[in-house]
Amino acid sequence: MSSTLIARKDFEDAIRSRLVWAVMGVFLFLMALVAVSASTQDLSEVEPTQLIVTVTNIGGLLFIPIVSLIVGYMAIVGERQSGSLRVLFGLSHSRWDVFVGKFVSRLGVVFVATLLTVALTVGMAVAMFDSVPLGTYLGYSVLTILLGLAFAAIAVGVSAVSTSRMQAMGGAIGSYVVFSLIWHPLVAGVHYLLEGSMPGLEAPEWYFLLLRLNPLDAYRQVSSELASEFIWGIIGMESIVEDIPDAAFENPDTLLVSNRVSGDLPFYLSDWFAAVVLLVWIVVPLAIGYWRFDGADLN
Amino acid sequence: MAAIETRNLTKRYGDDAALEGLELTVDEGEVFGFLGPNGAGKTTTIDLLLDFIRPTDGSATVLGHDTQDETDAVRDRVGILPDGFDLWERSSGYRHLEFALASKGGSESPEALLDRVGLDRADAERPVGDYSKGMAQRLAMAMALVGDPDLLILDEPSSGLDPHGIRTFQEIIREEATDGTTVFFSSHILGQVSAVCDRVGILDDGDLVTVDTIAGLRERSGVGSSLVVDVAEEPVVDLGEIDGVTDVTVRQDGRLRVTYADPAAKALALHRLVDSGATIVDFDVEEPTLEDLFTAFTGTDADSVQAGESSDELGRARHRATDGGARVDSSGPDRARADAETEVGR
Repeated sequence: MSSTLIARKDFEDAIRSRLVWAVMGVFLFLMALVAVSASTQDLSEVEPTQLIVTVTNIGGLLFIPIVSLIVGYMAIVGERQSGSLRVLFGLSHSRWDVFVGKFVSRLGVVFVATLLTVALTVGMAVAMFDSVPLGTYLGYSVLTILLGLAFAAIAVGVSAVSTSRMQAMGGAIGSYVVFSLIWHPLVAGVHYLLEGSMPGLEAPEWYFLLLRLNPLDAYRQVSSELASEFIWGIIGMESIVEDIPDAAFENPDTLLVSNRVSGDLPFYLSDWFAAVVLLVWIVVPLAIGYWRFDGADLN
Repeated sequence: MAAIETRNLTKRYGDDAALEGLELTVDEGEVFGFLGPNGAGKTTTIDLLLDFIRPTDGSATVLGHDTQDETDAVRDRVGILPDGFDLWERSSGYRHLEFALASKGGSESPEALLDRVGLDRADAERPVGDYSKGMAQRLAMAMALVGDPDLLILDEPSSGLDPHGIRTFQEIIREEATDGTTVFFSSHILGQVSAVCDRVGILDDGDLVTVDTIAGLRERSGVGSSLVVDVAEEPVVDLGEIDGVTDVTVRQDGRLRVTYADPAAKALALHRLVDSGATIVDFDVEEPTLEDLFTAFTGTDADSVQAGESSDELGRARHRATDGGARVDSSGPDRARADAETEVGR
């Protein structure tokens, strides 16, 4: 009950954040550009899942993680730094109430933002293409919402263990840098140590599992599978840390994980497992965040 | 049952002791002043009572509930006005009160709370981000009063308040005390503590130096009150032998200073002077200031306690209340003393 009050109160405040709406505004503007440019083209030859590639590139890999991190990173450290946490305690709320109220509210804001994004995506797809594979779009929608929630949870977790705004900001930015820039080279390094070479076009299953434990890569791998087209990351690590013949880049579909593993895909490389990975990225940062927040001196 | 009871309550950061072995009992229904310079450990104590930070050693109970194990029970019955906080700047004052009322299950009307703390109803509709420090302080006080708490913890309540606000807060504290609420009031401004508090604890650098009534502190500190008498010629009588007189000094201009611990001694001293045939031109009574007390108990300079002129809001209040001039400064402490005496007497 107590956490419901805090969640409602915080949601009111967080949804009014100008920064979040400014970033969302830029995103919507880019989506509008896509719609306008699409309307001038002949789309009869284009695959109806093509929009997934576009939305993943603009939204999933860039705007959604960033909006989610912005929404989440001040959730708890903001109250701690401003001293209003004492006011909340004085109003008979416990650490648990505050933590739960805050993460429910911030994840709620991100849920609304990502729901708008996927609704817009599906709406545009229906308007642009004659027949839309709704099942594929539904799966993509769920994945996109989970991605947003995972980054929001990471940000709230970081916020709960931080003692200052700068620390939380550093943690939020750092997490995005790790997932988009550092994770892939690190996993490739593990491959080099174990196999004696950089990963090639065909690579062992565990290599793709390690990549998939990164929420951003889990999302990208499965978005690629859903769109049946390989989607590059923000930085195309496949051309940097992997030893892939140039010919393969001419037909990017050969880079789909399902085409790079010999034989049947193990369960942990199937599409649904990405959702499990994202769920874990929601639960674990929150659990660690609360555990540390509960034991901390809050002054 | 004690409102607050701490046993060996200790908080260290590394080797640095923020609070060392605090043994403090605040009785139910009393107004307790927690006095000390900035950084003495006042806020640390309050943070420990609210389980905001965890003690290195020792324990505390609030209204009979352990602050570690029964945090929820403690927070349900306590109202807090913390030191140095920001409220939620995008929400209105009314929304803050609504939230506080829902959180505490309070039945007060927001308007009544606003009136009590002297906050304008029109202002309550504005977002709190537009508020001055004093307005935010009033709003936070209103939130602390929600749900009629049994213990009111006020940490430096006067910061950011104008003189009128300080008087309003002092009235609220007295009303709450009359109502049976225990008030725990921390301050580095001595005049304010003496104006409302039944008992005072002096904290210095993490150590509780002493706890007593204002009058008791005066008596024990040895900085007794003085009777200052202007006589026409040097008196021949020995006033030092009067019971309760601790010191007698005579200046060459005929001014006599009789320091006493027992207030009854001053009348006797005047009587003896008259009997001896001395011509009394004028006389005055000088009470020691709380600054004197602080110096006596902590060995530190009282100036450091004041932490700069600007923070002494009550001092400024007096300046404004009177028509300027040199007399104002000397009348200030007098009024503080008068306040202190009436409070201690009740």
